[in-house]
Amino acid sequence: MIEAIIQAIQQVILSPSIWLVILLSAVYGISLGAIPGLTATMAVALFVPITYWMDPVPALAGIATMAACAIFAGDIPTTLLRIPGTPASAAYVDDAYAFTRRGESEKPLGMALVGSVMGGLFGAVVLILLGGQLAKIASMFSVAEYFWLYLLGLSSAVVVARGPVLKSLLGLLIGLLLALVGLSAVHTEARFTFGFPQLYQGISFIPAMIGLFGFSEVLRKTIDLDTDLFTGGIPGEERSTLSSAGFLERWLIGPVTSLFRGPFSMIANRKRSFLRSGFIGSLIGMLPGAGADMASWVSLAASKKASKEPDNYGKGSLEGIADATTANNSALAGTWIPALVFGIPGDSITAIMIGVLLMKNLNPGPEIFVNQPVLVYSIYVAFIAANIALLVVGYFAIKAGRFVIRIPQRILLPVILLFCIIGSYAIQGSYFDIVIMLFMGVLGFFLERRAIPLGPIVLGIILGGPLEERFIQTITGSEGLILPFFDRPVAAILGIGFLVLWGWTIWSSRKEQ
Amino acid sequence: MRLIPVEFKFRLYFRIGRLSGVPVALFLVAVLLLPGCARDTSYPNRPISLICPWSAGGGTDRVARQIASQLEREMGVPVNVINATGGGGVTGHTRGALARPDGYSMTMITAELNMLHWRGLTNITYRDYRPLMKVNQDNAALFVRKDAPWQNLEELAEAIRENPGNLQASGTAFGGVWHVSLAGWLLEAGLSADDVTWISINGSAPSLQELMAGGVDMVACSFPEAKSLYDAGEIRSLGVMAEDRLADYPEIPTFGEQGYDWSSQTWRGLAVPDQISDARYDQLLQAVKEVVESEEYHRFLENSGFGSSAESPEAFLQFLSEENQTYGKIFNSQAFEDVVSQRYGPMFFPYIILALMGLILLKLIVSADLKLAEEANAMQQADYGYMALMIGAVIIYLLFAEQLGFVISAMLILALLLWQLNVNWSTAVLVILVVVPLSYQLFAVYLRVPLPWGLFGW
Repeated sequence: MIEAIIQAIQQVILSPSIWLVILLSAVYGISLGAIPGLTATMAVALFVPITYWMDPVPALAGIATMAACAIFAGDIPTTLLRIPGTPASAAYVDDAYAFTRRGESEKPLGMALVGSVMGGLFGAVVLILLGGQLAKIASMFSVAEYFWLYLLGLSSAVVVARGPVLKSLLGLLIGLLLALVGLSAVHTEARFTFGFPQLYQGISFIPAMIGLFGFSEVLRKTIDLDTDLFTGGIPGEERSTLSSAGFLERWLIGPVTSLFRGPFSMIANRKRSFLRSGFIGSLIGMLPGAGADMASWVSLAASKKASKEPDNYGKGSLEGIADATTANNSALAGTWIPALVFGIPGDSITAIMIGVLLMKNLNPGPEIFVNQPVLVYSIYVAFIAANIALLVVGYFAIKAGRFVIRIPQRILLPVILLFCIIGSYAIQGSYFDIVIMLFMGVLGFFLERRAIPLGPIVLGIILGGPLEERFIQTITGSEGLILPFFDRPVAAILGIGFLVLWGWTIWSSRKEQ
Repeated sequence: MRLIPVEFKFRLYFRIGRLSGVPVALFLVAVLLLPGCARDTSYPNRPISLICPWSAGGGTDRVARQIASQLEREMGVPVNVINATGGGGVTGHTRGALARPDGYSMTMITAELNMLHWRGLTNITYRDYRPLMKVNQDNAALFVRKDAPWQNLEELAEAIRENPGNLQASGTAFGGVWHVSLAGWLLEAGLSADDVTWISINGSAPSLQELMAGGVDMVACSFPEAKSLYDAGEIRSLGVMAEDRLADYPEIPTFGEQGYDWSSQTWRGLAVPDQISDARYDQLLQAVKEVVESEEYHRFLENSGFGSSAESPEAFLQFLSEENQTYGKIFNSQAFEDVVSQRYGPMFFPYIILALMGLILLKLIVSADLKLAEEANAMQQADYGYMALMIGAVIIYLLFAEQLGFVISAMLILALLLWQLNVNWSTAVLVILVVVPLSYQLFAVYLRVPLPWGLFGW
């Protein structure tokens, strides 16, 4: 085993060609993830034809790097424009954007980058040390357990959101209702389609998200244009105080330390929170059908419950951003656990990864650990290398992002509008998705004026379909309405956990009143 | 006429270094447009879209992407896979059939094409397509957990007969191809199609997960989808629904050998809208033939565990029409109609959501919590003008993009918006000339993301 590990390290770390692949994938993943509407899945799917000419290790290293970078890159438009680049960033969009409004966009971005890298490394370590054991737990999850898991995920959105619980619940239900439009997955029957065949495909969440956050923000900003005419949103972007220092100091060491010092010391000071977020990410990531989106919500909710300053969440909490970004990148490594151990893909990225492995005549499953230990360890090492590359490439992406906020709003807004259109069309080349974007933008604009949070709507749209599926699946197979949700041990634990969480929330809000 | 009153003169303070913006922009435009200069009218001269009705990462997507990357070399233009998912295949199959028959869009049709219309979900049938070739076929197999008590189909059928409705199966959603596979066997075995409760789970991977977790007793799906778990010894196969045993897994008996005359499969094929001109069809067919018969494609199928089944257009059409009739019989049979009607109907869950929503709305209205937020100012008339402007721009794009293509429509709405937002004209021209070609180059050329092509081809 030791021999295999050493061989793997030599294969990856000492190979310039693998580093080149990782670096290029990082740049590619960052640029795709930073464009709202283009997802990590898309980045990986577009990469697949290239992998046919590659060895398995560089190919998998490329996929791992792309996924990690795309998830982080989603934080860039989230912070600068308030448009979540990927759904995994939607949880903390208000937190991150609050800093940009104050002219401190680098703070949340630096935090997100460091959180993502540390989370990714943590996830890799969990994958290496506990992969086999965790996969066994994952295989115990049946539809009833997933039902509770999704409910817990949805509850997190309510916990995280700012303002009264009832309004977040309303947002959540709007999202769930929107998710039910179209052909239902369980019954394959059309619902709420009002005779439009295009609505059969349902409300896809990517255009919905771009509309809710992006287009509604464009609407709000154009209306506020008269009040902040010239500012590109940089009222007092911190100027470097190092103008008298030498070249290297001024352009490299100074900016690097100013970006990274804060975030790294923050993680070092909050070790327990970091471990909690990392574990939440790995655990949720390893469950097929959950993934990075849900990990970031649940981790943020846990972070808020544990925080001494819960009121700060939603208004610009660096702690929240740290914990959520740690979880969503740690979840990425988690999704590889069932994929490698059983060949069951946890999400679409690992589904593609399995496809690439099969192409190379490698069969994921328990045998791969016995027959190809070097390959498995190389994947592990590649995961670590991917996160190192993310730290470097992400730094430059953040610096390049500053350019965007210097552009005057009058020029920026029309361009953002154009990108909203391109992004919603891109996911499946459908004009109807642009219509959804438009509709959701106007809806988001008016809901926000009535202080109904938008985050829960997004999570509702994402999880509504699966929640209904699991619900109907659980009650079809058995007699009775309530018993089937509790008659398996894991389901019972999750269910009681859910009831306790809500009992506590209602009780504590009563006490406050 | 301006929608918004001019109150401020807007000055350009945005420059690239010390250069004036205009020469820089012209240079950029020239560089970006260079690849597009050599325009001609021969076919094909722009990217071809391959519509895949299933999501990225799935089996159909993998086959589609393999074919796309090889077809690209044959045709000399990019072939982009577009995942038009949703509606259990309705979306992609409908879009593909209704696409412009100009040879620039084709569809990866799957077995569902012959099922959806029987269930009243779409009017599209195989007759709306002109088939090119069948490119793959996978037979179904029936899987149980490794510790399951049944060693063969006979024992399983006996267990079902003793306790009808007690055992649970999955593999796909209700009425999906694997559901039909199982129902067909049950009917063949003299049982009723609803003697096994079908749990509707979308996709074979989550169904197999459910099998492992003990939520269902058996899974019907294609062999490659369950290959990893089978190799790992976690699940056993009671039989394959094929005429012959699988070459790589000769230990698994067929259904026929066990006394049930039943085979079932899923397949994938390429097709174009049926109005396409013969010249373009022939050219496409030639290229597709080269790809499907290539050694590289066969190696891909073999490595991925996909079954190969290359069929010429005539044979493919014949196959489509025969299968269409078989499915018609199954879907119209009384037994299957019984299965589809379920205890918990499609509106069960929506009613729960609507009821909860009503309660919360009521509470919010009673406590007057739905008023405007503090930070929201009352909207002025000019504000509605701004809103109308932004919404109007999107609508203009929606109306014109299909005909004019991305480049012209994007320029149009940018020009409108920049003018209405009082950006001076030289800045506006600069922005338009930088943003539009750059995004075209980025999305259409480098990232292979679909953009509306329009009648001019850009």
